Amino acid sequence: MTDQQPDSTHFGFKTVKQTEKVSLVANVFHSVAAKYDLMNDVMSMGIHRLWKRFTIDCSGVRPGHQVLDLAGGTGDITALFSKRVGPTGKVILADINESMLNVGRDKLRDLGLVNNIDYVQANAEALPFADNSFDIISIGFGLRNVTDKDAALRSMYRVLKPGGRLLVLEFSKPEYEWLSKVYDLYSFKLLPAIGGLVANDKESYQYLAESIRMHPDQDTLKQMMETAGFEHVSYHNLTGGIVALHKGYKF
Amino acid sequence: MLSLVPQLICATLEKVLHKVVAMDPASPALLQKIQGKQLALQLQELPWRFVLSATTESLLLNQHNEKVDCVISTDLATLQQLNDPGQLTRLIKQDKLQIDGDLQVAQQFSSLLQQLDPDWQQHLSGWLGDALAHKVAMAIKQLQLYIQTQLKQLEHAAVELAQDELALSPTQAEMNQFSRDVSQLQARLDQLSRHNAFRQE
Repeated sequence: MTDQQPDSTHFGFKTVKQTEKVSLVANVFHSVAAKYDLMNDVMSMGIHRLWKRFTIDCSGVRPGHQVLDLAGGTGDITALFSKRVGPTGKVILADINESMLNVGRDKLRDLGLVNNIDYVQANAEALPFADNSFDIISIGFGLRNVTDKDAALRSMYRVLKPGGRLLVLEFSKPEYEWLSKVYDLYSFKLLPAIGGLVANDKESYQYLAESIRMHPDQDTLKQMMETAGFEHVSYHNLTGGIVALHKGYKF
Repeated sequence: MLSLVPQLICATLEKVLHKVVAMDPASPALLQKIQGKQLALQLQELPWRFVLSATTESLLLNQHNEKVDCVISTDLATLQQLNDPGQLTRLIKQDKLQIDGDLQVAQQFSSLLQQLDPDWQQHLSGWLGDALAHKVAMAIKQLQLYIQTQLKQLEHAAVELAQDELALSPTQAEMNQFSRDVSQLQARLDQLSRHNAFRQE
């Protein structure tokens, strides 16, 4: 990481040109979109649903709120928000990847959630929304895949209303040494194998495991959020730090 | 791991509530009245505060300490007594129940929950046919009755065991006797202290 060229970034453990990362990540998600939900359930043994509920519990969402669910993917978090903001509120499901957005749209429509959700294909680094537009922004398992994370955080800060909060749900660093070892074994040996078996796509899940390791740890991300302008930044470790929820306010 | 327990409880209960509300033909009208309202329930036995939110279709459950329309703080035993609305004022007076915020919201939620009367038999009959559904419903009713009787008997047996066999707790008569003694003692003490005050003057 230290010997990185200025115009290069990491794609899992590989180092690639910054301009290439977007299309490489896009390929991964085009490839996994159809089996994404199934794989999430298999990989996390269903616990990802609770991580997402925890995010909602920390959001302070109320009827009438404007919510942006960034990297919303197949819409799990959007579904939870949509019910909670009610007919007077609005949730925007944004994802950079068209395939994921399509899967999300179909799923939410099947759930009967249509009235207060908009779909936008957007890059988190340059959000196509006016300043001070949202009461809540959430990004669940997405920041990891963004090329320029600092730019993305600044962009989120810009579109958040004063008093609004940002919630970043992302894989992080396990709190305990033993858990770290078990987790490594699981994600480098078992996970790509499951990915190969269930989604017939071993490489994408190899990337997933690698990209998790390259993502900044809890305190680094907290620092990054503070640099982007967020205040009262705090984080909760979930499931022993395998996942962390960062929360920051704009005042 | 333990940190996600409230989320698991919320997710499970929310699913159950959704099913029950969907089965009750009277619920949409009631939900319409309270949609968008939030009621928090803080039980002394639990470290978490649960929040019920009403939408036009269902009731949602969350765990957080954010601002809500109304907060009820109580304990499990008192919560059970709330089935009888006549008890409400007494419980508040006895400080067993605190209500902060919009009292009307609390009443509306409680009337919704009490009026929930899912038509189990109707839904069951779609699966099993009318006759079998009726039989199952009867069996469940009988089972409920049986469990209630057994629980009452168990309670009775436990009281007898504690009072008569193990002599751990006093009987009603002993208790009354003791109360009378205490009252008499109190009266004598009052008398004495008045006497004392009089002599000091």
